[in-house]
Amino acid sequence: MKKWIIIGTLVLLGVLIYRFAVRGYNNMVTLQEAVSKAWSDVETQYQRRLDLVQNLVNTVKGYADFEKSTLTQVVEARAKATQVTVDPQNLTPEKLREFQSAQSEMSSALSRLLVVVERYPDLKANQNFLELQAQLEGTENRIAVSRNKFNDTAREYNTFIRRFPQNILAGWFGFASKAYFEADKEASKAPKVEF
Amino acid sequence: MRFIKNTFLLPLLILLALSAYAQEFPPSPNPPRLVNDYTGTLTPDEWQTLESKLTAYNDSTSTQISIVILSTTYDYPISQYAFQLGEKWGIGRKEKNNGALILVAKDDREVFIATGYGLEGAIPDALAKRIVEMQIVPAFKQGQFYRGLNEATDTMMKLAAGEYTADDLKPPFPYELVIIIGVFILITLTGIYASYRQAKRFAKTNGIDLHTAWRMINAARRVQSGSWGSFSSGRGSFGGSSSRGFGGFGGGSFGGGGAGGRW
Repeated sequence: MKKWIIIGTLVLLGVLIYRFAVRGYNNMVTLQEAVSKAWSDVETQYQRRLDLVQNLVNTVKGYADFEKSTLTQVVEARAKATQVTVDPQNLTPEKLREFQSAQSEMSSALSRLLVVVERYPDLKANQNFLELQAQLEGTENRIAVSRNKFNDTAREYNTFIRRFPQNILAGWFGFASKAYFEADKEASKAPKVEF
Repeated sequence: MRFIKNTFLLPLLILLALSAYAQEFPPSPNPPRLVNDYTGTLTPDEWQTLESKLTAYNDSTSTQISIVILSTTYDYPISQYAFQLGEKWGIGRKEKNNGALILVAKDDREVFIATGYGLEGAIPDALAKRIVEMQIVPAFKQGQFYRGLNEATDTMMKLAAGEYTADDLKPPFPYELVIIIGVFILITLTGIYASYRQAKRFAKTNGIDLHTAWRMINAARRVQSGSWGSFSSGRGSFGGSSSRGFGGFGGGSFGGGGAGGRW
């Protein structure tokens, strides 16, 4: 009789632990998927900016006397930024910092270019250029929003996996915490393209 | 020292940051309104005209265009403030994200039109920019805030017209209500049937006719439990938006669409 009570308790305990593990695991997967999605939104917006920069460079190139060095810097920064991609499963602080520094190099090269453009009234009045400027401005806004949203989802995920008792489960199944975007140094007031 | 720093200072800092955060963003208006003027710029008449125009538009198309007039957006760039406020209040329907926010920061002399994900097609950034530069800024420069906002909302309403309809604004078929009524009817019928059986037995055992037995049984029941059946029915509300006033924001989301300017 006593033996059965013990066995019953153990079985019950086992079932409870199993259910806890299943629920915890599934929640983690859901949250992780949300982070991955937020990350892909961020990348989409950055990718869009790279495309626009390509168009911008092509437009500016048409002006024969345009300062070459500024243009080269933009092209190089763009090439570098294209190479740095981050797998959402592996969002470590180092990886994210690398991504961010490549992109912010791109930002500063771009803003230098736009400052130089000020000296070319023809170019400034070019319809194609004006349109690209407006689209770039919109993309910068979208980048900022997607970064904010990414940080929010990553925070939610991190909070979940680091809380007791989920942290034990996270350790078992290898759920690692995700890095956040930091405010850019030169653009602490959100990336802004001055026109 | 480290312990003190971690246990007391950090939560305190977070609390401070949170309260500052809460101050910088006004809470969602209650009762809900589409036009929110925190600076007293619009006269009551002007406010009423804009509010009823936008409410009617929301009722017919489900697209929510909201106006917020503040004195400042603090340290935020006005665009980011607009997106966060729109997201926080949830302007637009949740499934469609068809909200738009015209944010005016009066002391900063800045204005921004933020469009929800679902309106980015109908009001692309370039058009938002044009609305700001051709309709809002010239009017604001002359101090005519109402005129600028009125014209801008007219244009936006035209642009977004046909993009969404209010079809699915109709309250969904009230299945719950039907089930509740059905159960209620069933209970009543069962009760009546039970009474009828009882009456029949009563009639049989006492040798009276069914009709008299039925009346006796029911009279006895009424004496037994006087309060039975005298329940007060609560006034139920089944979702539908009232024709008077704005029904509330729907949880729409903003992705960074829109454009702004200074005056």
